[in-house]
Amino acid sequence: MPRTSTLECPGCPPIRALTFDVLGLVKVTEARSKEGGIPKVVDRWGEPDSSKCILAASIDDRKSGPLLAIAREGGLIEILNPLNGHPCLSISNIIDNGPEPGDDAIVGLHLFKKQNLDLSSRSHTLLTCTTKGNASMRSVELTSSHADSTSSVSSRTWNVCASGNILCSQVDGNENYALFGGKGVEVNVWDLEQGTKIWTAKSPPKNSLGLFTPTWFTSATFLSKDDHRKFVAGTNSHQVRLYDISAQRRPVISFDFRETPIKAVAEDQDGYTIYIGNGSGDLASVDMRTGKLLGCFLGKCSGSIRSIARHPELPVIASCGLDSYLRFWDIKTRKVLSAVFLKQPLTNVVFDSNFAEEEVPSSVVDPPTEAQNTNETQESDEEEVQPLKRKKKSSKHSGSKKPKPKKRSKKAQDETVDDSS
Amino acid sequence: MEAKPCFWQSKYQIHAQAFPRFGWKSCEKTDTALIKKKKKRYCCHDRCPIVYVHLQLFAGNDADEFSSILNRKSDPKILITTCRFNSTRGPAFISELLSVIPNAHYYKRGTYDLKKIVEYAKKKDFTSLIVVHTNRREPDALLIIGLPDGPTAHFKLSKLVLRKDVKNHGNPTSHIPELVLNNFTTRLGHRIGRMIQSLFPQAPNFGGRRVVTFHNQRDFIFFRHHRYIFESKESKQGDSKGNKDKDAKGEKSSRGKVVARLQECGPRFTLKLISLQHGTFDTKGGEYEWVHKPEMDTSRRRFFL
Repeated sequence: MPRTSTLECPGCPPIRALTFDVLGLVKVTEARSKEGGIPKVVDRWGEPDSSKCILAASIDDRKSGPLLAIAREGGLIEILNPLNGHPCLSISNIIDNGPEPGDDAIVGLHLFKKQNLDLSSRSHTLLTCTTKGNASMRSVELTSSHADSTSSVSSRTWNVCASGNILCSQVDGNENYALFGGKGVEVNVWDLEQGTKIWTAKSPPKNSLGLFTPTWFTSATFLSKDDHRKFVAGTNSHQVRLYDISAQRRPVISFDFRETPIKAVAEDQDGYTIYIGNGSGDLASVDMRTGKLLGCFLGKCSGSIRSIARHPELPVIASCGLDSYLRFWDIKTRKVLSAVFLKQPLTNVVFDSNFAEEEVPSSVVDPPTEAQNTNETQESDEEEVQPLKRKKKSSKHSGSKKPKPKKRSKKAQDETVDDSS
Repeated sequence: MEAKPCFWQSKYQIHAQAFPRFGWKSCEKTDTALIKKKKKRYCCHDRCPIVYVHLQLFAGNDADEFSSILNRKSDPKILITTCRFNSTRGPAFISELLSVIPNAHYYKRGTYDLKKIVEYAKKKDFTSLIVVHTNRREPDALLIIGLPDGPTAHFKLSKLVLRKDVKNHGNPTSHIPELVLNNFTTRLGHRIGRMIQSLFPQAPNFGGRRVVTFHNQRDFIFFRHHRYIFESKESKQGDSKGNKDKDAKGEKSSRGKVVARLQECGPRFTLKLISLQHGTFDTKGGEYEWVHKPEMDTSRRRFFL
């Protein structure tokens, strides 16, 4: 029977998330604990234009000079400053004598975090992959004057698959290896420095009826940041498979999840939990050491989940999808923290992890003041980490026995204590 | 026309009362745009002036799959077929659907796969495919697939009354009907409304005095098909009744004014949306834009369409 009383949503911890949708808009949603933890859309960058649909995004959220790279339809790649949305650079991915950009859309994009420590001009590396399998790694320079520098220092293109379409690509935590998989393409792992394929998966054997499901990987992720050998891939036939490069070419663990394709996989920082989202909006967390489903995230998500992001510090994940909602979930209780309606079907979401409660001046790319800025942001982040930890402890103690209103008042008490200190 | 609640307010006013802690209110304030809820008599632009313009909604509309038909760049052409096993009421319902929807063609199902039928229809330039599904000798589901890449809407069909069972029914003519879409207020409802709109040609013939109504109430879509006629009536002074429901075959009597009389013709049925899938029909590999889940029924007053 439908519930007749209202359900109160606990608020979000202070977080900032950027979402990308099919009309090419970038929306920034922030939740501040002063306003009760309800996330609000703070900013919107771009004009609604469906020919500029955003297909992939990658954030490099360093403390100083964070950058956001987005790939639009038509082969256009832009690099923005995630703090204010100003474009730093825009590159076109169209290769001469290559296929039309309409057929060869960009599927995966990764902005590398390591960079040269040369302060005068910062060069960044981008890895892009298109559906026909053309992966290219290019490094671009961003001069400090924010001018549109279209110079690409080096660019290397190679073909990842002979036939079929690539649907998913990921780069591992140490940024030396990348994996690619798709429709008719078995998952392959490439060594990026040498540009060679080091491993290819083999599909599982025919089942007892003699039926062979065609290869169709829809999403994949590396299991932990340090280990490039284990990764999880989700298929179109609602299977989740764990592969281990050092063990065998066939999947090590494989299990089914509901009935629609697995559209998004995200890993947790402990190195064995993953979050999967499928085509009918079911989000679940799985322990990959055993292949056991830990639990489903229930929360009225009615559209396909296109992207899941895990906050690097707080136990919060964000999911977005075709039903135009951005939802924040608490990992431990698997409940919705809040949901924001964003009016367009969403394709990607990323977290900006350096969001602090106080107003931090946006870090400018001037070389002499860079050191100062890094110190400032680091200090403010440390202050923030302590009050958050205190809040978490109080919620753990009071959560089991005391009812919700009391927990909230305890949180309010903690806030006042922190402000005074 | 009096100001009706705007596009967003009508949904969010209800929800802001029921769920004050949710972030529903954020969407009211972000854009300066609110659209006046208008009865979607798409032809009568002069009667319903738009007060504000909702930019993202219109951009989304331009980008969606129905925009080419709704912008009159192409004409709708519908292919109707059934599930593999047909029933007694099925063919009768289909013949009535053929008379309601102009430019509709019926093909027998045979044993073709639905995905192959979709490809065949794309080749022959159909804009929409309707599959009538029967269960226990009664039509009970309707699948509307937009072509070429359009969304697939799966409706549950109930309370079907055929033309011969309607009392004092009329016979429809072949003029292009006028379309009335009521109460499709939410974003999802707007999308379904446009999908239904794309089944009919966008140039109604008012001389034909034929109207097809899809009325959404509490997530049920009621379909009615009427012929109307305006008559000028001279009535006595104390004889004024209140305005009745548009479905009634009643008379709006007022003093010496023009009166509309309705005669129902054609079938009568109700639809309820079960799921809306992105892309053409593909149950295994498809991703859903909207699918009903039992955990979504948190309130008796919350509806999705």
